[in-house]
Formats: sequence, structure tokens, C-alpha cells
Amino acid sequence: MVQLVGSLRKELADSLSSCRVLVVGAGGIGCELLKNLVLTGFKNIEVIDLDTIDVSNLNRQFLFQKKHVGKSKAQVAKESALQFCPTANITAYHDSIMNPDYNVEFFRNFMLVMNALDNRAARNHVNRMCLAADIPLIESGTAGYLGQVTVIKKGLTECYECQPKPSQKTFPGCTIRNTPSEPIHCIVWAKYLFNQLFGEEDADQEVSPDTADPEAAWNPEEAAARATASEKDGDIKRVSTKEWARSTGYDSIKLFNKLFKDDIMYLLTMDKLWKKRKAPLPLDWQQLENHALFNEDSPGSGLKDQQVLGIWGYCKLFQHSVETLRSQLEQKGDGAELVWDKDDPPAMDFVTAAANLRMHIFSMNMKSRFDIKSMAGNIIPAIATTNAVIAGLIVLEGLKILSGELESCRSVSSSTANYPEVISLVTYEEPYDELEECQRSPDYFFCTVFDTFP
Amino acid sequence: MIDMIEKEEPIISEEEAAQYDRQIRLWGLDAQKRLRGSRVLLVGLGGLGAEVAKNLILAGVKGLTLLDHEQVTEESCRAQFLVPVTARGQNRAQASLERAQYLNPMVEVRAYPDRPEDKPDDFFLQFDAVCLTGCSRDLMVRVDQLCSQRNIKVFCGDVYGYYGYMFSDLGKEHHYVEEKPKTVKPAQGSSDGPEAKKAKIDPNETTMVKKTASFCSLKEALEVDWTSEKAKASLKRTPVDYFLLHVLLKFRTDKGRDPDPQSFAEDSQLLRQIRDDVLESLAVSGDLLSDDFVSYCFSEMSPVCAVVGGVLGQEVVKALSQRDAPHRNFFFFDGRKGNGVVDYFGPN
Repeated sequence: MVQLVGSLRKELADSLSSCRVLVVGAGGIGCELLKNLVLTGFKNIEVIDLDTIDVSNLNRQFLFQKKHVGKSKAQVAKESALQFCPTANITAYHDSIMNPDYNVEFFRNFMLVMNALDNRAARNHVNRMCLAADIPLIESGTAGYLGQVTVIKKGLTECYECQPKPSQKTFPGCTIRNTPSEPIHCIVWAKYLFNQLFGEEDADQEVSPDTADPEAAWNPEEAAARATASEKDGDIKRVSTKEWARSTGYDSIKLFNKLFKDDIMYLLTMDKLWKKRKAPLPLDWQQLENHALFNEDSPGSGLKDQQVLGIWGYCKLFQHSVETLRSQLEQKGDGAELVWDKDDPPAMDFVTAAANLRMHIFSMNMKSRFDIKSMAGNIIPAIATTNAVIAGLIVLEGLKILSGELESCRSVSSSTANYPEVISLVTYEEPYDELEECQRSPDYFFCTVFDTFP
Repeated sequence: MIDMIEKEEPIISEEEAAQYDRQIRLWGLDAQKRLRGSRVLLVGLGGLGAEVAKNLILAGVKGLTLLDHEQVTEESCRAQFLVPVTARGQNRAQASLERAQYLNPMVEVRAYPDRPEDKPDDFFLQFDAVCLTGCSRDLMVRVDQLCSQRNIKVFCGDVYGYYGYMFSDLGKEHHYVEEKPKTVKPAQGSSDGPEAKKAKIDPNETTMVKKTASFCSLKEALEVDWTSEKAKASLKRTPVDYFLLHVLLKFRTDKGRDPDPQSFAEDSQLLRQIRDDVLESLAVSGDLLSDDFVSYCFSEMSPVCAVVGGVLGQEVVKALSQRDAPHRNFFFFDGRKGNGVVDYFGPN
């Protein structure tokens, strides 16, 4: 005779209340997941997150309120969950899961591990720990309206690292330095510029015109000549951008004229580049200032960040942010370096201004700080509902695992790609017998095809 | 509904912009403004109701009114996360109010302890959208009829154990926009010509395309005639969840409650009986719904509430913001299999 505890068979309800589970991450998916686990009847839950609460989390991480901004996500999530289920046994760790304290023995304590992460490094790490400990892992991810859940179990499914994941998009140096054609090229340039001026200088993040650009040469001999000349010719390459800036005392107007006038005029001498492209138009600080005096930019209505200023507006923003960053550097002392952070206003202002000035030079429509922040900061839009759906699906897969029904676990995705199915099961292409070795697991393990979010 | 935004001109404050940042980046400022001007009624604060309340409050509607005549029981504390464990015996809507308000102080949350059946027509007409959970079939049909002709968006939803559904009636003419990538015209003539020197169009630019969708009433959706040849032919492709819904709504009407784990034996028997009656009255085969479903439709399962509540919440957001294609007109979720499907039931 079937016995129920709520919706569940009694045997399942009993095993839920005795098993221990680990939730890695207490953010968008983590908050929803913790709530679902507690309400479903899981009694022993451990949750770990290294992050603190930010105001932009509050549109979806519902266990947090405004008064919690700045506090530990794991800690506050635990306290909020206990409010509606005081009998749950929750342990919170304000820590990184990659801390060596959380070794294989630690992972072996759990019947189930559920990821609620937002970065590949941590996912790779947890993947390997779960393989080593031979514990089932439920992997998941969301971005905007899309989401996915996948079960990873050694010996049964592909692991998270079995298939190569697409890496972050990069652009060729000459596109960034010489011939940008899209706003993103200008934004990347502006971030490089920030590092060259205020942060850690990186040889792969040059901002000056690339004289060795193969496209600039009319013939192969010229290309070779340009390449060697660029090393000998002192002006552009020899002095680093930071040294040059220091030598002028980070004078914002001198900086402006070098980056947005002199360097552009140099690019114009590489005439082959402009045969089939619209040539860039250099800016002159003095001219722009004179023009602006007669044409005041009227402030728009609505949100500040969503406005697109006029060219003089970005000149002023450039000047102002350079001055602020200069004093930040001074305060930090000798040999100091700043790290770019989208949530640090002058750093974001600087990239907004520099990117827009460059976009204007290359005849692209300028963008609002809001739009530039999305691109420069790699912000993934996020809402409560997608996370709620995915967290629900995670628990449903978890219940299958705890019922001993691993074979019935699937990769589940929430999207409109298979409309009218909006929550669909991804079926494996090959039968379990014909799987390939995963080179990451020394104990030979078998794979099938899936892909997840970065 | 489109008038709403022009009349009130809700301005998004810097504070709201900071909090709603990650969703404004998804659905845009206009959509957020429309949400900001919308008032929604939510009936039923069980497991599904609490999820919908959370989702709509976080989305930033102008106001959410909670209506529930039920009292908090021990079961309620297990089912939803808004009711404090100390609130046993209190009205469920009122007990949920404080935590609901904490989710987002910028939304006006109200709670009423009355039966929706006792509310006059006027009550329902003050909202832009109405969302009914845990309601009887008759009430849902009545409210749908009353509201949709006045361009008030109507949603229904329930969770029964591992199963859940959502229904929407957005009216005969629901206008919305879809964001599509802008198509870039290919360059003409020789590549050396002046065309090549034109300013580049940002390939990531998009354009808004206006569309319209038409919805039928709940009554029409539930009273599909299965005796016609066309209907019979489509049965193979029809999710059985549709028939399961009929069974569960009939149980609710007959017993005044949903299947209760405490009365598992009798309720199971009654469910099987009702299944036989319903399928017969609809003139479809008794084989469509095997006995299997019976033990899986008790109580509200939290993860199923989360899934259905997430989909339902997002449909309300889409309808109020008039952005993105709405699901038309049912969404069924089977928590045992793990898949969810949209399907249309109603006159063609």
C-alpha cells in the first residue's frame, strides 16, 4: 500500500530527511534551490559561497533584502531559509569551494552535490572533486530566459569537462589597435587602455597603432620593413604608454590629444587600411571645446546611465575620470596598480568615455554607459523566474537520484528552441555502451554529448 | 492596457534602476515601466501562489493584491515560504503579507481574507491582470468571462502533486512586440565603390516587430468537443494532462478540496471513479489516463510549484509588458517525466 508524506512516497521522504547534500553557490539559482530543498523535506543542507550581497542581486536572490547588502550570501541565505523552516539543519560557509580544506573526504560526506555557480573554474573544480569522490553532481546554469540542468555521474554520464567548452571571444590585435569596426572593439581597446595607464601592463593589450599590421603593407617587402622599423622607430613603440603618461603627469588633455588625435593621424598615414574602409576622423580638444561653448548639451530626462551624451560630454567625462584615477593611483603609493572593476564608477566612466570617443572617431554611433557596462563588464541579464524553473528541475533530478533512478536522469533545458516543448529533455545520442573515454578521468569513464552554460 | 503607460508615465527612479538592473538589461526599460504601472490580483496563497507572488513582486509590479480565505495549517508551512511557522490558524493571505512585502518594498502588497466567490464584479475590474490558483472551475470561468472582455489579462494555474498547469486568456486582440535582429542589406557594386565607405551598422542592433495574438475563453478551452472527426484525429498529439486537469477540477468541485494524503485510500478511489466519469462524458477512450497518475497528484510539490510558478510568473510579466510571444494558451508540466509543453485548446 502506497504511503505518502505530502506528495512523496514515504521511503523517499525518509531518505530526504536523513541524507546530506551540498549546494555550491547561494546566488540566483542557489537561493531558489535552497528554498526548494527545504520545502521538499531535505533536512541536512550545506551551502557555500564566497560572495557578498550586492543591490543588483535583489531582483532575484529573494532570500536577501536591502539591509543585507554587503553581508555573506551563504550566511544570510541560511538565516532566511531557517525562518520558514526552523527545523532544517543548514551549515553555511563564506568561503571558496576551491579552498583545499574542501577535499575529497569533504565531498564524500554528501549523497548529492548541486552546483549553482557562475564561472567555469569553479565548475571544473567541483566536477573533478565529484568524480574523485564518486558522488553524483547536478550541474546547472541560466542566462536571461534560458537555463539548463544536467546530471553528472562517474561511469554513467559525460563529465563537465569531457567536451571542450567555447572559450571567451578574443579579437585580433590589429582590429583593436588599427581598424575597429564594431563598438565591442572600441570597448576592449578602452579596457586595455585602462590597464596600460593605471593597471597591470600586458604585452597582449597594446593600444598604440600597430605598424606591423599585415593589412597595412602594399607588398611583402614593405610588411617586413614596417615590422623592423616599428622596433627601431622610437616614438610609437619604445616608450610604454604608462611611462609616457607619467612623464606628462597624467595630463588628461595631453593624453586626449595623443590617443584621439596624434595616434589617429598616424593611422591615417597607413593609407592602404583606408582604401576600402571609412577613414577615422581625429579629434582636437581645443576645437571641440570651442564648438561646445556655443552648443550646450541639454541634459536629457530619464535615467542618467541610459543617456548618450554628445562628443564634448565624453571629452569632459574622459578628463574627469583620468583625474580621479590619477589621484586613486597617487593615494596607493609607488608602484601601485589599479584593477578594473565595472562597479567602480571612475573606472567605468573612463571606459565609457574612451570607448565612445574611439567609436565616434571610427564613425560608429556612441553608446550609453548602461550599454557599455553590459559589454565591458560581461553582464549576463538575469531574472527570478528562469532561476526558479531551473532550481525546480534540479530538485526533481535530485529526487530521481535519491530514488535510485539514475538511469532516468536527463539533461533538461528551459528554452523556446524546441517549441511547443518549453522544458525539454535532451536525449543522449549514443547508447550507454558505446561511449568514449574521458581523458580527464584516469579511471576510464564514459561520455555522451551535452553542453552547458559557461 | 497600452493607455496605462501614457496616463501614468511611471518614472523609474535611480534606486529602482539599480535594483532592477539585471532584468532591465533583459527586457528593456519600456517593459519595466509598464510593469511598474501594473496592478495584479493573485488568488490563492498555497505553494503555487507563493511562487507567483514572489516572482511578480521581484519583477516590480505597481501593486499585488493577495486574496485567500483559507487558514494556515501545518501543511501550509511545508508548502510555502511566505507564511511564518507561528501563524497557524491565521488567514493565509494575511499571514503571507509581511514576508511578501519584504521581498520588495517598492511594490504595494495588500492582503484580503475573503472568498473570491463573495467578491463583487467591481473588485476584479480594478486590476490589469488576474491570476487564479486553487480556484473552482466555476469561479475561474466566471472571472475569466468578466475580465477578459475588459482587456484584463487572466491567468489560471494549479499544482497537484507532480503535475501542474497554467492557462492564459489575454483577450481577442493581445498586442505585443518581439525583438528581432536588424537585417543588414548586403553591399552592392564593386568593393572599391563609395558604398563600402559608409558607416558600419552595428550587427548587434535589433528592431521591435509588432504582433497580435488572439485567445479564447477558459470555458471554450475546457469545453472542446471531442466527438468531431478533427478532434478525434488530434487526440494522438494531445497531452493527456488536459484530461487529467478535467479530473482534478471535478474532484475539487465535488469535494470542495484537493486530494489529501490523509485520505489517500478514499481519495484515490474517488479519483479513479471521476477519471472514468470524465473521460466518458468527454466521449474519449478510458485508456487515455491509466491508474498510474493517481498516487502522484497529492499535495503541492515544491519543485513543481517552482517550475509552474516560474513559467506562470513570466507569462504575467510578458503580458503586462506587452513584450515577447505569450504561451498560447496552456502550459502543462509533468514533474515525473520532467518535460513541459505549450498547447492550444479551444475553437479553431
